[in-house]
Amino acid sequence: MKKLLTSLLMVILVLSLFSCSSKDPDKVVIAQQFGLGYAPLTLVKELNLIEKYYPNAKIEWAQLGSGGSIREAMAAGQVDVGSMGVPPFLIAWAKGYDYKIMTALCEMPLGLQTNRPEVKSLKDISPQMKIATPSPGSIQHILLSMASEKELGDATALDRNVIAMAHPDAANALINKIEIAAHFTSPPYIFMELESEGIHQVVDAEKDAFGEAFTFLVTAGTGKFKTRNPELFEAVNTALREAIAIMENDPGSVSDIVAPTLNLDRETYLRYCNWPGVKFETEPRGMLKFLDFMNRAGYVSKTTSEQRDLMW
Amino acid sequence: MGDECIMSSLQVNNISKSYQLDNKELNVLNDISISLDSGDFLTILGPSGCGKSTLIRCICGMETPDSGEILIDGKPIDGIGPERLMVFQDFNQLFPWKTVEENIVFPLKLNNVSNNKVELNEIAEEFMDIVNLKQFRNAYPNQLSGGMRQRVAIARSLALNPKVLLMDEPFGALDAQTRAILQKELYQLWEKFKTTIIFITHNVQEAIILGSKIIVLGLMPATVKFETTNTIPYPRMPETKEFMSLWKELYGHLETKRF
Amino acid sequence: MTDKVNGEKNKSRLTKISFLLALFLIWEFVPVWTNSAKIIPPFHKVMVAFWTNLWHGDLLQHVAYSLQLIFTGILIGMILAFVLTALCIVSKRFNDIMDVVISIMHPLPGIALLPVVMLIVGLGAKSIIIIIVHSILWPLIVNALAGFNSIPKIQIELGKNLGMKGVKLIWLVMIPNAFPYILSGIKISWARSWRALVSAEMVFGASGMVGGLGWYIYKTRFFMDVSGMFAGLISVIIIGMLVDEFVLKSIEKNTVKKWGMSV
Repeated sequence: MKKLLTSLLMVILVLSLFSCSSKDPDKVVIAQQFGLGYAPLTLVKELNLIEKYYPNAKIEWAQLGSGGSIREAMAAGQVDVGSMGVPPFLIAWAKGYDYKIMTALCEMPLGLQTNRPEVKSLKDISPQMKIATPSPGSIQHILLSMASEKELGDATALDRNVIAMAHPDAANALINKIEIAAHFTSPPYIFMELESEGIHQVVDAEKDAFGEAFTFLVTAGTGKFKTRNPELFEAVNTALREAIAIMENDPGSVSDIVAPTLNLDRETYLRYCNWPGVKFETEPRGMLKFLDFMNRAGYVSKTTSEQRDLMW
Repeated sequence: MGDECIMSSLQVNNISKSYQLDNKELNVLNDISISLDSGDFLTILGPSGCGKSTLIRCICGMETPDSGEILIDGKPIDGIGPERLMVFQDFNQLFPWKTVEENIVFPLKLNNVSNNKVELNEIAEEFMDIVNLKQFRNAYPNQLSGGMRQRVAIARSLALNPKVLLMDEPFGALDAQTRAILQKELYQLWEKFKTTIIFITHNVQEAIILGSKIIVLGLMPATVKFETTNTIPYPRMPETKEFMSLWKELYGHLETKRF
Repeated sequence: MTDKVNGEKNKSRLTKISFLLALFLIWEFVPVWTNSAKIIPPFHKVMVAFWTNLWHGDLLQHVAYSLQLIFTGILIGMILAFVLTALCIVSKRFNDIMDVVISIMHPLPGIALLPVVMLIVGLGAKSIIIIIVHSILWPLIVNALAGFNSIPKIQIELGKNLGMKGVKLIWLVMIPNAFPYILSGIKISWARSWRALVSAEMVFGASGMVGGLGWYIYKTRFFMDVSGMFAGLISVIIIGMLVDEFVLKSIEKNTVKKWGMSV
């Protein structure tokens, strides 16, 4: 009997460790991510922009494997600031997790490319053709569904063709004509594919799927962080916005900092930055349209008509 | 079946066998000749390591002598088979996944003793009864004592009605009391079925109790040192004068020198 | 069975059940106390999600998919293992080669091979089945060979003495003697393959939105459906347990344990 009680006690103790951890108020944990869209984060880090507005800031840059991990870490309160695509953010928001958007990050051209010359539009896609997206519920899959609804009248019409594949593997497969027939992707893979021989675009996200411009990535912050140190919170916000302004207005000035992290030479980096549709911005666009679609498709069960509800 | 047994004569003519050990040639058996009539109970005595096992394994067909021949009913033996069945000393000579009854029935089926399932079961039942194991018919070998397992092995062998029953120190791992009981049972079985038996032992008393013919083998290389017929009437009591004098004679021929 | 043995068995069962109940109680209340209900939902929520997803959702579909894959993989693996083991026994040279192959392949977790397999075979159930076969092949062969090498010489001599040889000897004497090791190999294989399957499904994903349990867990994770995730995990555990308890343990009880041939 005694043994049983002691073991119970141990289990309770272990579980209660879950919620505690007193944090240094000057500390902030930011998820580090790589990709052209996350360039402002790189700038914030390399140019020490947060310290500019809050000198005592102790910043920890967390390296996490995926957007999913970042979301979970934020839900657990271990990461304070993280970036993600709009749909993944909306899923978290709809579940009631305690984080909202601090600022948008960027708009990017997204699209469906194919290596089959006979595919001119979605209806040319046969049942055997495989379409790669990073995962179900990803912005790429959602945009595909939106285009499907527009052109074929049914959002799930192409679901049987979709397979989950990471961007680099899918781009490689598409370019080398292995396995897949099409790939819905974002920069830089979309650039690589469009600059390759034998590949053409079938769906442009803005024109054919969404119908208007939309924000691709947003940066969110946890409520815990905001309550813990509102001044530091604001400093991070301001730093982010400054970085975003630099990337939008003068990317060439920071090419030495950003281009190496993307494994690009300066020329390619600039070409990508000036690609039509690439825009770094702070004001999110198109979120309610995403939310509405996802609600109708059953990805989220909560909705709102006020964009303010999604932001701090 | 039952009391009719195939009468067989066994002839071992001048067999020799050597092994290679550490680049040296070890002569184990040297020019051994044995003659057995049907119904004989031959006990072969010899000190440990003298090659008794090699001899009986040659007769069984598990090993081949380098020279000489082994004849059964005048014909040379043809490898290993159920006409010369061996009962080993090792208790692990039953199939562990079969019950006592199955262990006896299975070899009968294998050798087409009968196509009739009922008949097979009857035969098995008879032999289980003979060795007093009928109430253990559904037991698995791991549930039996050493002595019981040896009984099953004997029952299985006799049920197959072999021309020669070979027994390689089958009671060597048993305690004295169990050994005595099994010796008595084995003798009674032999009296009933008059099977030709070759029984190996290093125990002089056991050789005298069981054998109608006794051979003493010399030490490496083994040769037939001494042969005799056992005329002591049954029951053979170790305290009697004749028993003791035979014991002394046999013991004298046993070389127990270590090499 | 004696009263003492019965009493011990009952005490054991009681302890196990009490512990499980205690666990469920802790699971129910601690998440609320520590305000971590979003990360670990209370027990009843998980049970509700499990039940709903099972009967009204697609959990059953995913379970069926996984089971189908694993049984196909196990079947192929066993046949291959049988053939390769037989070849090893018959040819010493082949045995030598297999020795090297096994030392290389055995330590590799199936999931580490997945990217390579996908490059060669492509996507689809094919690569997952290959991973399953890989997970079970080496432990099966290693154990079967160990089993064959452990057959007491006397059993083989006995078999020959009773008139068996060739295929009969192998099938009626050698394989039953090696069975305890073979069963051991099967137990290990099941554990490895089930784990490999679920993890491969999580990484590899699905084709045409249909996939197995691993894919189900991955999906629920993406949609932050934590209760659903737990429901998936519970399914993984249940299936693992069912096979262990009702299939493997019962085979063991009726064979190896009954015959007193424990390894």
